[in-house]
Amino acid sequence: MSSSIFTTLTRQQGLMQEMQVVANNLANSSTTGYKSDRAIFAEFLVPTGDDPQQSLSMGGLGGHAYQMEQGGLKFTGGQFDLAIQGDGFFMVDTPQGQRLTRAGSFQLSAQGQLIDGQGNAVLGAGGNPITIPAEVVDVAFGQDGTITGNGQIIDQIGIMTANGALMRDSNTLFSAAEGVVQAQDAKLVQGALEQSNVSPVLEMARMIEVQRAYEAGQALLEKEDQRISQLISAVRER
Amino acid sequence: MKSLQIAASGMAAQQMRVEVISNNIANMSTTAYRPRTAEFADLMYQQYLTPGTITSQVGTVVPAGIQLGTGVRPTTVSMELTQGALRQTNAELDIAIDGNGYLEITLPSGDPAYTRDGKLTRSPDGELVTSDGFPLADGIVIPADAERISISRDGEVVAYFANEAAGQPIGSISLARFVNEKGLEAMGDNLYRETEASGPANRLIPGTEGVGYIRQGYIEDSAVDVVQEISDLIEAQRGYELNSKVISASDEMLSVTNRIR
Repeated sequence: MSSSIFTTLTRQQGLMQEMQVVANNLANSSTTGYKSDRAIFAEFLVPTGDDPQQSLSMGGLGGHAYQMEQGGLKFTGGQFDLAIQGDGFFMVDTPQGQRLTRAGSFQLSAQGQLIDGQGNAVLGAGGNPITIPAEVVDVAFGQDGTITGNGQIIDQIGIMTANGALMRDSNTLFSAAEGVVQAQDAKLVQGALEQSNVSPVLEMARMIEVQRAYEAGQALLEKEDQRISQLISAVRER
Repeated sequence: MKSLQIAASGMAAQQMRVEVISNNIANMSTTAYRPRTAEFADLMYQQYLTPGTITSQVGTVVPAGIQLGTGVRPTTVSMELTQGALRQTNAELDIAIDGNGYLEITLPSGDPAYTRDGKLTRSPDGELVTSDGFPLADGIVIPADAERISISRDGEVVAYFANEAAGQPIGSISLARFVNEKGLEAMGDNLYRETEASGPANRLIPGTEGVGYIRQGYIEDSAVDVVQEISDLIEAQRGYELNSKVISASDEMLSVTNRIR
């Protein structure tokens, strides 16, 4: 069969996947601390036949770019609602290991430990869980993460950045395979939550683009189909 | 096609948000009601190509891999711990809590429950009960011939009689505090029940160890901020529309796919 059909089909498949990325972004447009995602297409070469000089170029989904830009801050006034301004993540201790997150809607456990919405312990700057003593009522978080209550420093919440690439997990968590380091220029804001950084306008535009590109691919397939059928009938008439 | 299900999960999430908002708005006049917020989190990611692995084609390390998200789910509907405005009623048995804490009442089953609704009345036996008739766990009985009741900031209840200048203390109201108020289970009727997440109730004298004061002659209004709720409602509605657009676009792509021959 004509290789242009294969090339187009890989493109169509990639567009379907990109649609999934767009759909996931829009579905998470109200998710606290969600970072939007962008599909990156890459060309890859497939050898055709024995001659290494002859190859076919195809396009496929090559990778992702997480848009790490700041989401808008929504002020809630909650004592344990925390947002990070600038680069950096909170670190939580999940059963699968330490994970990074920007979703800072925390609360206390019945034992007074600072936990996230799933019950994972939020870790301090030294990698330890944070416990707020029972007698402390008004807890204040400083810009650098210092936790004070009753006029005394209790602990410091850890704000970390990943050393290498991030990998996504569910529940707005990221994992960093290459470890984490203390974030340098992050500012902690108490009483606010970082909203999803999905831009609905951009996603809509991308969605329309994907849809039209898909239709264009389809038109190309139909043209190719016609061309081949014309070729066959022309051969047959001779 | 995954994007259909993903968009459907987004629509379901926004719909749930609308339900939470409409319950807040419905309770904008409920005494001592605290608004709730729905929180969401993204679902699992399908790992098509794990970041950090070596590609088979050229042998380089995959920088970001291919991870495709599968949608959104509601995680918690949490209670906002903002206090409603205190409204003066001048009623003798209206009390509001200025600060943290809950009144403990006893359910007919004998179990405790907690409320911030301090619109108290007298039962036929003279006992201090909530407007639904649940007695305060402090068990305060007002003598039938008492002319006037005074409740101090720290919960001391004093009854005054017709021909006596000095009052007689008849009990005191304590306030319950929880380590994690957000962990309380709402039972309806302005009542909450303690759970494993909230920790046990710690009953304290009002004004000590972080619990609030009691204000006689006041009622706590609902803490719902209607303007905020309406703007959230519009946001949820638009979010719903965006996700429905994804469904129709995916549908069109599918119908195009059906024409492939």
